[in-house]
Amino acid sequence: MDTLLKPALHIEKKSRRGYHITFAVIAAMLALSPFIIEGTSLVQFLGKCMCYAIVGIALDLIWGYTGMLSLGHGLWFCLGGYAMAMFLKLDGTNGKITDFMQTGGLTELPWFWKPFGSFPLTLILVILIPALFAGIVGYFVFRSRIKGVYFSIITQALTWAVYSLFMANSKFTGGNNGITDIASIFGKTKGSANRTNLLIIFFITLAVLVLVYLLATFLTGRKFGKLLIAIRDGENRTYFSGYSVNSYKNFIYAMSAVLAAIAGALFVNFNGSITPTQMTISYSITMVIWVAVGGRGTIIGAVIGAFFINLCEYNFSSGILVEAWQFIIGAIFCLTILLFKGGIVGIVRDNIPELIRRIKNRKNKTAKEAA
Amino acid sequence: MDQLVTTLFNGLSLSSIYLLVALGLSITFGQMGVINMAHGEFVMLGAYTTFCTQELFANFLPEQVGSIYYFAAIVLAFFVTFALGCLLEKLLISKLYGRKIDSLLATWGVSLILQQAVRTIFGAQGVNVNAPSFLKGGLAVKGVTFSYNRIFIIILVAFCLVMVWLLVNRSRYGSRMRATMQNRPMAQCMGINTKKIDCITFGIGSGLAGIAGCSVALLGSVDSTVGQNYIVYSFMTVVLGGAGNLFGTVIGAAIIGFSSIFVENYQSASIARAIVLLIIIIFLQFKPSGLFTVRSRVLDEGV
Repeated sequence: MDTLLKPALHIEKKSRRGYHITFAVIAAMLALSPFIIEGTSLVQFLGKCMCYAIVGIALDLIWGYTGMLSLGHGLWFCLGGYAMAMFLKLDGTNGKITDFMQTGGLTELPWFWKPFGSFPLTLILVILIPALFAGIVGYFVFRSRIKGVYFSIITQALTWAVYSLFMANSKFTGGNNGITDIASIFGKTKGSANRTNLLIIFFITLAVLVLVYLLATFLTGRKFGKLLIAIRDGENRTYFSGYSVNSYKNFIYAMSAVLAAIAGALFVNFNGSITPTQMTISYSITMVIWVAVGGRGTIIGAVIGAFFINLCEYNFSSGILVEAWQFIIGAIFCLTILLFKGGIVGIVRDNIPELIRRIKNRKNKTAKEAA
Repeated sequence: MDQLVTTLFNGLSLSSIYLLVALGLSITFGQMGVINMAHGEFVMLGAYTTFCTQELFANFLPEQVGSIYYFAAIVLAFFVTFALGCLLEKLLISKLYGRKIDSLLATWGVSLILQQAVRTIFGAQGVNVNAPSFLKGGLAVKGVTFSYNRIFIIILVAFCLVMVWLLVNRSRYGSRMRATMQNRPMAQCMGINTKKIDCITFGIGSGLAGIAGCSVALLGSVDSTVGQNYIVYSFMTVVLGGAGNLFGTVIGAAIIGFSSIFVENYQSASIARAIVLLIIIIFLQFKPSGLFTVRSRVLDEGV
């Protein structure tokens, strides 16, 4: 169905090499950036962008490859983010109850906060909670063969439901304010005195991003990836060919949720807080915008899109452009969907080889004429 | 007893508002299969149209005709959003038929633009619509008060429901519309201008959102995000009822509205929201395509 997205096989092989080179360049630039950039705020921002890129990859796996559009990845992002924030908050208060719990009238730490006192347990829970939750949701959703736009609506409603719960139980979750005033795993990152701390977490995030990229390309480059695409383009045919479509979908959905949660957990370290805003539907769709603009169905597209949109926002969202930014992002989104379905990567992939060929031809011609 | 009557009335009132927002969706999503994420923004535009009409009447017309402004606003809101809906269909959605998920995303882009446009024009602060004088106060029956504006909304919804039903099932245009949606090539062979039908149908769906906006404006302050509060519920209403079934939408709205109010009696509003949504999600396990569905043996549909 999505023939527009599928380049011919020989092009795919060639373009995949291009993707890897592009990613290597981006990673190298990121690795060098802290040594070039002076202030801490931009480094911090680039760190956040890397987390966004990880979410982008997670979304691309289920949307670009498997064709399931989740409008609720903010939920998974936040589950990871809250888990890490709870650990960091307890780290800051030495395991005592927090300010918002005191305001809420609690005298003792709630039982579900207790595991987050230990770091290894937190790391496990960051992965385990979304994996289980998404696994269960996925099991039921895919079992009853909810797909297409219905899947999007369900994920959206689920996210809204959990968002409401987080907002309502402010004595456990900090409500509207979320969990604030937290340092990173390695101590405070704000201010130039704590630059080393920031750099450690920055490079850890970069390493995670590279690993996630490698994992995603590994998965999609194999038969497994072909199956995901098969599910996207003809679910019933894949089903009739004897594949357990539901298990594949369920696995990739849970994995995507875990990746998003890891991104959320890293994000908290840079952001210094986590709020339910990151769980809203509009935030979740913003994540989809990154993937769409970058180019769906190509892992690198998600990375490029996340950096492109967020860097634009970073530069535009001050001064006179702050009002115009919403118009611009809306228009970019409409135009991408309408005209450039392949996103930035699609434009480059489809036009650059042609361009190179033309230039070569012209060179040959001039060479011949000269001879 | 009084408690129960109040609960029932509130449930009816809430259901009717969800139903009004979902009515437009049951046409654009249920009939045409387009997920219009900007539907909530059309509701918001309807509410702002009401506000503008109110200001216009207050500034340029004598006070005696003041209350009539609301009826003018309903008509205006319908036509403003109808026109915008047609425009949106022509510019964007008609290019994306057969790509449902893409039309969902493109209309999301539109909703971002509309929200910011409203913020730029009217400011980020919400505006207030004064209920017309005949809707102030309430009807007191044996100690239970039924506020007039909620009664009015229920009547308005009933009116819209009847009109939509007549339009879809009893009019010439309706039969053309159904023909187009059921079998497009065949309808084209019969000489139906399906492009025009698409455009008008989408416009009517959006126009209904505008009318919903008028009633939403009565309930509280109006800002650029007012539509977002209703959009999740109204999509769930249509999905719950079964896409393409008007009766299903009514039942869906009633289930969501009444259960929210009943849960709210025991829990806070946000917990009620979460519980109701979870119940619906679980319910859809057993009836994945809603309460009332058209049976079909087509494979790979609705991707």
